[in-house]
Amino acid sequence: MSEQFTDPFVRWDTFSSALWYRTRAARYRLEGSRCKSCGAIFFPPKIGLICPACHQRQMEPYPCAQQGEIVAVALDDVGFPAVGYGDNLPRVQAIVRLDDGVHLMVDLLQIRDVSEAQVGKRVKMVLRKHKREDTGAWVYGYGFVIAD
Amino acid sequence: MGKILRKVVMIGGAITPPNVPMDWTWRQIAVEAFWNALEEAGVELGEVDLVACNYNDRAIADSSPGPQIADALGFIPKPVVPIANACAGNGIASYVAWNAIASGRCDVVVSLGFARSDNYDAMEAMNSQGNYVDFDYMLGLTHINYNTMRAAYYRRKYGVPLEAAGHWAYQCHWYARRNPLAVLYGKPMPLLDDLCADTPEAERDRQATNRGGVASAMVFVGEELAHKYTDKPVYFDVAYAFSPPYVGNFFHYPVEGMKEYDLAEFSGLMMAAKEAYHLTGIQPEQIDLVQVHDLSAYDGMMALEAIGLCEVGQAKEYILNGGMTLESRCPVNTYGGGIAFGHGSAGSDFQIGVLENYWQVLGKCGERQVKDVRVAVNTAYGTHHSLDVVGVIRKGW
Repeated sequence: MSEQFTDPFVRWDTFSSALWYRTRAARYRLEGSRCKSCGAIFFPPKIGLICPACHQRQMEPYPCAQQGEIVAVALDDVGFPAVGYGDNLPRVQAIVRLDDGVHLMVDLLQIRDVSEAQVGKRVKMVLRKHKREDTGAWVYGYGFVIAD
Repeated sequence: MGKILRKVVMIGGAITPPNVPMDWTWRQIAVEAFWNALEEAGVELGEVDLVACNYNDRAIADSSPGPQIADALGFIPKPVVPIANACAGNGIASYVAWNAIASGRCDVVVSLGFARSDNYDAMEAMNSQGNYVDFDYMLGLTHINYNTMRAAYYRRKYGVPLEAAGHWAYQCHWYARRNPLAVLYGKPMPLLDDLCADTPEAERDRQATNRGGVASAMVFVGEELAHKYTDKPVYFDVAYAFSPPYVGNFFHYPVEGMKEYDLAEFSGLMMAAKEAYHLTGIQPEQIDLVQVHDLSAYDGMMALEAIGLCEVGQAKEYILNGGMTLESRCPVNTYGGGIAFGHGSAGSDFQIGVLENYWQVLGKCGERQVKDVRVAVNTAYGTHHSLDVVGVIRKGW
């Protein structure tokens, strides 16, 4: 709203705080899930869902490893960042293989030069402040830093 | 799989030209393709039993798309099956159309797709349609980032040189200059050396061109009815497969046929191709022509490997040895690819491959015509290869 436009803007196709709330365990501490039937591990978690490997429905929370190594690196410099991330360009992004075999795509933080993010480098999870929700509250979640 | 009661014959199709007027609504774009497809097929609107329609337009996604599309097409009260599955969703639309005819439920079916992507209110709305939103887009990772990451991983794993990507892009540009329907038709040809350069500008030129608002349509009939419309029946078959939507889960996902692979192979496309070949009884060696949906040159190379035209990791050799050209045993991307024909999303990314193969079989492709095409295959993908579709066109006379 402004003095010229006194009606509130209708916000649609934006996300609610409820969505963020539901995914907090995975975002804050990398909580995935494990199938009690066949042992398969999943991230993002599949709590309440069906295991694609054995087709049973017996998922339990599983704490993913919080360290791993880089298996791929790319620079986000194409100019179409996700909303709320435009101030941080260029960002260094990576696929990380955690020590338990789970793969994540993440932001690499505290990188001074992209050459620091070599494939094979050890990394560890940190909790970071990501951006503001559409409602204005801050969003927190995982990021990764070089561990060595 | 159940019993297939009859073959499906394609009798016509159409796509909107590049740069449709800015003031055309999604309804006008959809009708343009639909109407022209019926005209090419020689089918009256009243003969059509069903329309399967993929769309990529948030302006209608949250309400009730079926009746809106049927109303625009003048099709009420007959059924429209609305499908929203990103760029390759018109592959699913054609799958619905195929099933309706192969099962005997319908005689004449149209597969339609449209996108008016500038109806989006923000990149947020567009990006949030794909991938595993809660854990990628919401954490700042877009499908464009997915694409960049996959290309980096593929190049590293298989030692793919920039030169191969440059040649891929160059050949797509070459074909597009011979296709009046391509976005870059009539534009100056880029230089091969420029396309092979290790610069951000060259990297952009090796990626897809935006086609803007676009729609396409294809018309199918049951085999025993085809003689009413054509004396040159062209058979159409289609198969598709899903892969996990989160990029990390491409690494050894615990499902047969996927756990052997990682981000550098399209295991879903391999499965779709296997089913398509089973349906049609063809082998990769019999394919005369291939069209792939390639938002980057690397996407295209990986697709050639997944459908069996090349060994996994060897598409670079195929391209550098002239495998895409008209002189090749199996030319690739004669329509111009996403790079030069233009990325049409739900409007055309699957159907343009089918249409090009259909027109090639009929010998209607002018300067880019491939000789003696009998079997042609096309691929498309959506939501960063969590959906992969394969279409097969076969000459029936």
